[in-house]
Amino acid sequence: MRCDEVRLHLLDYQEGRLRLEAQNAVRAHLDGCPDCTRADTVEQELTRLLEQRLPQHPASLALKRRLAARWSQPPASRSWWSRRRASLAPVLAAAAVVLVATPVVYYERAASRVAREQTAMVAEAVNDHLRLLASPRPLDVESGGLHQVKPWFAGRLDFAPVVTFEGDADFPLKGGTLGYFRDRKAAVFVYARRLHSISLLVFRADGLPWPSRGLTRINGVEASVAAERGFNVIVWRRGELGYALVSDVDAGELTAFAARLTRTP
Amino acid sequence: MSALANQALAYVDVLHNLARYLTGNETDAEDLVQETYARALRAEHQFTPGTNLKAWLFRILRNTFLSSYRRRRNDPTVGGLDTVAAEDAAAPSDWLLGDVELDRLRKVVADEIEAALMTLSEESRTVILLDLEGLTEVEVADVVGCAVGTVKSRLARARAALRQKLKDYAR
Repeated sequence: MRCDEVRLHLLDYQEGRLRLEAQNAVRAHLDGCPDCTRADTVEQELTRLLEQRLPQHPASLALKRRLAARWSQPPASRSWWSRRRASLAPVLAAAAVVLVATPVVYYERAASRVAREQTAMVAEAVNDHLRLLASPRPLDVESGGLHQVKPWFAGRLDFAPVVTFEGDADFPLKGGTLGYFRDRKAAVFVYARRLHSISLLVFRADGLPWPSRGLTRINGVEASVAAERGFNVIVWRRGELGYALVSDVDAGELTAFAARLTRTP
Repeated sequence: MSALANQALAYVDVLHNLARYLTGNETDAEDLVQETYARALRAEHQFTPGTNLKAWLFRILRNTFLSSYRRRRNDPTVGGLDTVAAEDAAAPSDWLLGDVELDRLRKVVADEIEAALMTLSEESRTVILLDLEGLTEVEVADVVGCAVGTVKSRLARARAALRQKLKDYAR
């Protein structure tokens, strides 16, 4: 298979849409062609970018209501109705049930979607933490204290991260770096607990599916505590900012750390 | 409400999303979605049961957009989004992004992706979004009205053009 043929089929290859022999041919070509391998990586990155960061524009509730109202009107005339009323009564009764049930269906679909998005938020926080751990240069600014780390973000973000915990002997502040949380930039503060690293991501909170159930109260803040792939994650929002705390320290220690972060100065 | 209408309403969010990316603004997107449902309802008998309802609705939405756009294009007071239609021709032939450029691509944020997508032609935006929606090549071909074999190359060109635009945004 030639390079131009392989590149035309890369998307299908990534989606597993090729026939077996074509799939194998592309794989064999990629194994021996660094240029096409790079093209494959770029396509995967673009797909990830589109799937995870391209803004979605769902219909407004007002539009949904207008559509439901318009479509629910029977297109019949009075005389036609009087002729068919008896035979259509069961159908209309069923339609009424559908109309009543539709919001429930929408609600369930929406609830399911929100649950998936909340899971995705936790997964994203863990991925951000892993990216940091894997980075050869995890910190852009080494800590000389919070007064040195916070000003470093000025001009690099469209918000000022509100963090007041300076670090202490149990949880020293190591430094900070610029990160990304889903579709937006984030300030990442890196603390430590013994040999463990703790990432605190601070980002704009608007437009994210914040958990509303099963919350834990920490210093007056409603936080969601979760675990994913061996990491503990605590997320919460305060005003216009969102916070995600990720580490492999145990949940109790991470909660104790969250209490220090959320303490009102 | 017919059974089909009930099923069709379940796709209002994805239809509105495509409408928003076609029209570029909320008001026109809502009008387009409402007109799409009106046309679909009138043509309900033309829908073949067992085929992809979502793809059918996408086709009606796009055709509605194009016919509406053609009318508006004749109005000298109305500008169009698709004045940039030649990016496919300018699509890069190089696939060899350096590591630095790949790293930049990874740092592109939501607004920048949206802005880059909106600079592409209507057809490019459509095939990229329909592919993201999980439509098959046959379904995409049906929506945009081209041969099935053409979809693959159009999608590849559209994505290459988008990648090129994103290089300009990523810093």
